[in-house]
Amino acid sequence: MSQLSLKRLEKSFNEARIIKGIDLDVSEGEFVVFVGPSGCGKSTLLRMIAGLEDVSAGEIEIGGKVVNDLAPVERGIAMVFQSYALYPHMTVFENIAFPLRVERLANDEVNTRVHAAARVLQLEPRLQHRPGQLSGGQRQRVAIGRAIVREPKIFLFDEPLSNLDAALRSEMRIELMELHKRLGTTMIYVTHDQVEAMTMADKIVVLDAGQISQVGSPLELYHKPDNLFVAGFIGSPKMNFISGTVSAADGTTITLDLGALGTIALPRSATRPVGEKVTLGIRPEHLNLGQSDFMLNVSPNIVEHLGIHTVAYSSLPAGESFIALFEGAPDISEGVTAPIGFNLDQVHLFDSAGLAIY
Amino acid sequence: MTSNRSAVLFALALLAPALVYILVIVAYPLFDTIVLSFTNAALKPTYDWVGWANYQRIFTAGNFTEVILRTFVWTFFSVSFKMVIGMAGAVMLNAAIPGQTVFRILTMPPWIVPMAIGIFMWGWMYNGQFGMISGLLQNFGITNGPVAWLAYGDTAFWATIITDVWIGVPMVTIYFLAAMQSIPKDLYEAAWTDGAGRFYRWRRITLPMMVPAIITMSLLSLIATFNSFDIIWILTQGGPSGSTTTMIIDTFKTAIGSRKYGEGAARAVVICIFVSIFCIVYFRAVRKLSQGEAK
Repeated sequence: MSQLSLKRLEKSFNEARIIKGIDLDVSEGEFVVFVGPSGCGKSTLLRMIAGLEDVSAGEIEIGGKVVNDLAPVERGIAMVFQSYALYPHMTVFENIAFPLRVERLANDEVNTRVHAAARVLQLEPRLQHRPGQLSGGQRQRVAIGRAIVREPKIFLFDEPLSNLDAALRSEMRIELMELHKRLGTTMIYVTHDQVEAMTMADKIVVLDAGQISQVGSPLELYHKPDNLFVAGFIGSPKMNFISGTVSAADGTTITLDLGALGTIALPRSATRPVGEKVTLGIRPEHLNLGQSDFMLNVSPNIVEHLGIHTVAYSSLPAGESFIALFEGAPDISEGVTAPIGFNLDQVHLFDSAGLAIY
Repeated sequence: MTSNRSAVLFALALLAPALVYILVIVAYPLFDTIVLSFTNAALKPTYDWVGWANYQRIFTAGNFTEVILRTFVWTFFSVSFKMVIGMAGAVMLNAAIPGQTVFRILTMPPWIVPMAIGIFMWGWMYNGQFGMISGLLQNFGITNGPVAWLAYGDTAFWATIITDVWIGVPMVTIYFLAAMQSIPKDLYEAAWTDGAGRFYRWRRITLPMMVPAIITMSLLSLIATFNSFDIIWILTQGGPSGSTTTMIIDTFKTAIGSRKYGEGAARAVVICIFVSIFCIVYFRAVRKLSQGEAK
C-alpha cells in the first residue's frame, strides 16, 4: 500500500503554473528522490507535501488520509531544510529538542530522545555547542537530528547537501543512506544533482517544468529513458545526441540518414514515417575505441586524463558537441583522428517529440 | 620619504573639514562649558574662578538630586514604552496582512511631522477647555468636568512621556521591523513544521534573535530621551511646579532663564557625564554584539 499519494496535484502562483498535475505513489520505507533542473518545481512539490505551500488543485494523501488542509505537524512529516534552519541562539541539544519542547514533553523524555538521536548521528560531544561552532556536516546532522526526534512517518529533505563541499557531500550521502537503512522510514529527497539521485534513490522522479518526466529506479532511467529530457539529465557526462532523418522503416529496422556521418540501420519494431526528424542518443561511456557496429572517426579537441578514465571532447560535422569516455588511459590525442564507434544495442532513439522509440 | 609626507598631508587635507567641524561644534563648546562650570559667569562682563563651588552648590542646595531622579524615572518609562509599543508595532507590521504597505506608511507621520508642530498638536489635545482628550472623556462620562492634563504635576508628567513616546515609536518600530525581517524565513518554517504556534515562534525565535537590536535601540533611545528638551519645553516648560523639570530643562532654566552661566554649565557637565556613561555602555554592547555575530 502506498504511504504517500499525490493525485492530479497542481500549484499556481497567480498566473504561473508551477506544478502541472502530478500523480505519484510512494510506498512505505522507500527512498524517493525528486530530481530536475532549477525551477522545475521539485522544491515546491516537497513544500506542498510538507504543508508549507497550499495546494491549488488535486490531493495529497498520507497513510490513506487527505492532508491538503492539515498543518505540517499533523501530517506526520519532518523536514530538513537546505539552509539547515538551525536556531543560532540555541545549543545543539535545544535545537534537536525543539519539536519535543513544542509538544511539551517531560524533561526526562526530551533528554532520552535527544540523546538517542545524538548517538545515532554522533553528535553527543557537541550537544552543548551552538550551531555557529559546528562544521557544515555537523550542522546538517543537527538538522537531521531535529527531524529524527519527532519519529515522523515521512522525512522530507530539501537539497540538504547542496551547501557542503564535494568531499563532505559524498560522506554525508553515505551517512544518509545508512540512516535510511537503520530507520526504515520513507524518505523524500530533493536534489538537482543527478549523482545524488542515482546513488541514493530506490525510486527517482525526474521533474521537468512542473511535470513528471519519468519515474523509475536509477538503472531503469539510465538504461531506458522515456524521453530526451531524462536521457540528457541522467548520466554524467551527458548523453550525446545526433540529429538524423528516417529514410526507411520496415517494422524490424529503422534506417536513419545522419548527414555527413552516413546512414545507420537500427533494430526497432516501431514504424516511423520516412522523413521524420529523429534524435539518436549514445552515452559517452558506451563509445569504443576500435572496431564497432558504427564508426564515427572523430578527432578530439580536448582530451582529459583522469587516471581511471579518459574523456575526449569533439565536435561532429553538423556542429553537435560529442563526448567520449574511455576506461584507463587509451592512446588518444588532441587533433588526431581516433577510431571512435559504438554498437547498435547501446543506441537510444527519440522521435521528433522527444519520446523514446523502442 | 617625500611621497610618504605628501600622503600624510593629503590624508590630513581630506580629514580637515571633519576635524574643523568637530573642533568648532563639539570640542570647543565642551571645553568652554567645562571651564565655565568652574566660574561664576553670569550676565556680567567679567567672571571669577570659583573652583568646585558650583558643583558643591547644586548637590547641596536646591533640588538637583530630585531632578536627576525625575529624569531617570521619566527616561525609564519613556524608553520602556517606546520599546514595548515599537516591538508590538513591528510584530503587527511584519504580519502577512492585506494592505501591509499602507500600514507601514501610516506609522511614519509622528516622525515626518515637524516635531514642534506635533508637540503643539498634543498641547491642544491636552487642553482642558478645548482639548480632544478631555472632551472625549467627558462625552463618555468618564470624567465629570474638563481635565487640564498639563495643569497638574502627575498628569503633566505622564502627558509629556506620552508625547515623547508618540514621537519616538516610529523609529523604534521601523528598526525592529528591519531586525525582524533579517531573521531567515526558514527558521519560522522549520518551527511551523514542528508544530510551533505564532506566540511560541515569537517567544523562542523572534525575541531571542532580536536581543542585539533591542539592546542597541534601548541604549540609543536612552541617550536621546535623556536629553529630550523640545517636548517638555513646548508643553510645560518644566512645570507645573517643576514636576516635569528634567536635567536638560533644569540646565536651560538655570543657564539661560536665570543667566547663571557658571552654575548652568556645571549642571550641563553632570548631564554630559551621565550621557558619556550611556555611550560607553552602548559602544561596549555594540562591540560585544558584533563579536558575538562574528562567532
